[in-house]
Amino acid sequence: MTLKDKIEKHLLEIQKPSRYIGGEVGSVIKDKSKVDVRFAFCFPDTYDIGMSHLGMKILYSLTNERENYWCERCFAPGLDFEEIMRKNDIPLYALESLDPIKDFDFIGFTMQYELSYTNVLNMLDLAGIPIFSRDRTEELTQIVIAGGPCICNPEPLADFFDIIILGEGEEVNLEVMDLYNEMKKQGAKRIDFLRKAAQIGGVYVPQFYHYYYKEDGTIDHVEVSDGAPERIQKRIIKDMDKVYYPENFVVPFTEIVHDRVSVEVLRGCIRGCRFCQAGFIYRPFREKTPETICRQTRCLCENTGYDEVSLASLSTSDHSGIDPMLTQLLEYTAAEKINLSLPSLRVDNFSESLLEKIKKVRKSGLTFAAEGGTQRLRDVINKNVSEEEIMNTCRIAFEGGYSAVKLYFMMGLPTETDEDIVGIAELAQRIIDLFYSIENRPKGRGLQVSISCATFVPKPFTPFQFEPQDTPAMIEHKQKLLLDSVTSKKVKVSYHDPNVSLLEVVLAKGDRRLCKVIHTAWKRGCKFDSWSEHYKFNQWLEAFKDCGVDPGFYAHRRFSYDEILPWDHLDYMVSKDFFIRENKTAHQSKTTPNCRERCSGCGVNKCVGRDCF
Amino acid sequence: MSAAVMRLRAVFEKTGRAKYISHLDLNRFMLRTFRRSKLPVWYTEGFNPHPYYAFALALSLGFESSCEIMDFNLTEVMPLDKVRDALNAVMPEGMRVVSVAEQKLKVTAIANATYSFSLETEDPASLYNEIQALLSQEEILIEKKTKKGIKTVDIKPDMKVERCTLTDRSVDMELRLPAGTQTNYNPTLFFEALKLSGSHTFEPAKIRRTGIFCENNEIFS
Repeated sequence: MTLKDKIEKHLLEIQKPSRYIGGEVGSVIKDKSKVDVRFAFCFPDTYDIGMSHLGMKILYSLTNERENYWCERCFAPGLDFEEIMRKNDIPLYALESLDPIKDFDFIGFTMQYELSYTNVLNMLDLAGIPIFSRDRTEELTQIVIAGGPCICNPEPLADFFDIIILGEGEEVNLEVMDLYNEMKKQGAKRIDFLRKAAQIGGVYVPQFYHYYYKEDGTIDHVEVSDGAPERIQKRIIKDMDKVYYPENFVVPFTEIVHDRVSVEVLRGCIRGCRFCQAGFIYRPFREKTPETICRQTRCLCENTGYDEVSLASLSTSDHSGIDPMLTQLLEYTAAEKINLSLPSLRVDNFSESLLEKIKKVRKSGLTFAAEGGTQRLRDVINKNVSEEEIMNTCRIAFEGGYSAVKLYFMMGLPTETDEDIVGIAELAQRIIDLFYSIENRPKGRGLQVSISCATFVPKPFTPFQFEPQDTPAMIEHKQKLLLDSVTSKKVKVSYHDPNVSLLEVVLAKGDRRLCKVIHTAWKRGCKFDSWSEHYKFNQWLEAFKDCGVDPGFYAHRRFSYDEILPWDHLDYMVSKDFFIRENKTAHQSKTTPNCRERCSGCGVNKCVGRDCF
Repeated sequence: MSAAVMRLRAVFEKTGRAKYISHLDLNRFMLRTFRRSKLPVWYTEGFNPHPYYAFALALSLGFESSCEIMDFNLTEVMPLDKVRDALNAVMPEGMRVVSVAEQKLKVTAIANATYSFSLETEDPASLYNEIQALLSQEEILIEKKTKKGIKTVDIKPDMKVERCTLTDRSVDMELRLPAGTQTNYNPTLFFEALKLSGSHTFEPAKIRRTGIFCENNEIFS
């Protein structure tokens, strides 16, 4: 019986079987006898989530442009299918060929969030690939490689990956595959390849870096072996108009989370919000021209048949050509009956003319990320949004017919006091008052203000990387205070489980000693940690205990400016000095202007050899 | 808004990997297929215009078919084989339009459909005997889920065996069952009846809808 037959025998017993059999429009099938290098692009979550990820679409198409390379997709099976796979000896396979991924040259994972780490181990195990890098074959095959934002601190995963790619993959991925292809033909061993790969810019081979710790648990020093570089700098694409962008997407049969065309409009961010990792690790700020954006939108809509397109970026309204871009786009989308959605708009540059344009597209709720309840706290986090701007935008929106506002906040931010928490409720109340003071407000429906409150997770490569996280008890106190401070029924409050945020910070800021903890937690049944129904906090606590690792050491301790951080040897082009400077400025409740207003000397311009603006 | 000038009916195959597309997903799939094809397909009028298309019968998840029927309209006159080719050019593996023609009959004219399948088993000969025994019963009673609840029906009078052959690994059959707006019998009813009546274990495989017919057993078109 072929693997395909084995799979098909059970497909009707599980939920949404079309996720497991491939064959979608846009998927790339090649003749494997004519392919030199096979790459399994793995997303460590289910199909519905992974298929929504833009990076995978880019790298999938980019790799498949090479006739002799074949990139296929692979996702974490749902628990129902995993059980069947384990019972019936179905190894984890790729969706295009339905071949087991253990036979591939590369098994590549994209690490988008910390709570997907255990899924990587589970997928390797399902594939029949040794979980630890050191246990894999000496032959040149089965290279387990990873990239993505979480990888900026790869140490908690260092024991599992052979190669880690820092920064943007469009160029370096192919360089690594080219080297592999060449060395494979020469009959090289795995170790020879890893040594050579480590010489490519942006390539980090964790096994060549050896950590030594001090008595107090902090890092003493890192030793480098095998001729690998002391520091590894992330890779970036210089010209966003010339960089590869797919002309087609795989169009799933089943509904996925982001089921639409997604067009990247810019990379990086000018804002410098001090909590935001993406705002720093994706620097420098680079835009596509409106013409490129329109061309790519049109091409993707025509090839996929989607009738919805979304513009992807960290802050779309910061595009210097947003007005001509939207004018051109709307001309096309309106004629073709395509919905255009614009996530990631900022409050402060939300002009009336912009709102007018968006309204033509669709009237749904408005979402603002205010992040902090008081101006003082917003200054601390450098979220340069004033209350006046929030109120102004709400006024424009209400007058334009909106009657639902969603506000995002964080809880547990550095220097936060009870006053800041009460400030969240007060801000919501002032928005309600504003609504009812407007004469031409939307009639019929009442106002709905949703407050979504996440727990602050300090992240590497941000000015807050040194900060401790509030303990779950402190967060619970603040959550209760917020609920007590909200008096109106028009305000709906939701918040995160602080025990989930605790694990997030430990995995984000942890060092190599976390590898054992992750492995132990997985052995204890932890997987799909980002799914509240699957999250097993007690098992994680047991795993920490088993390994003699104190989560508080990573979560609740302030990292000092002069200690060696687990990610200090990785260079994301923004200097540690800058982060220290910004951290100090934060504690003085002072803001830093955005990059377009004034360069604050983060260091990225020196790395790329030109001014950003 | 352009008027619908061609009222068309496509007969299409749904085989291989495509049999795992659920009916709900097929709807979304067709929307995108029409958009990719760039055919001048007629859009519904109203607040949220979308291409109009309708499937004559739903097909169970996991069933193949060589005769699915979809109605749609065009706003321009076009040669029928051009329409078929435009759709096939943007269809994935397993989905293929066999023919496109003007709609002749109303969908309510559909009376029955035929299904072929293999009942795989260790001992096909004795399964064959059990099938014959079941078929010779006066009535074949089986519980059927309806919108109003569970109801016992006799599938015997409305069921016709078109073919029943013995192979070395299975019994291969073709059944004609009521289909359409009034009564719809799924071949799984027959599998259940067979499971209840005999002692044999078997696995239904390769289930495929092979034809959709009118009252007089003429092919619906």
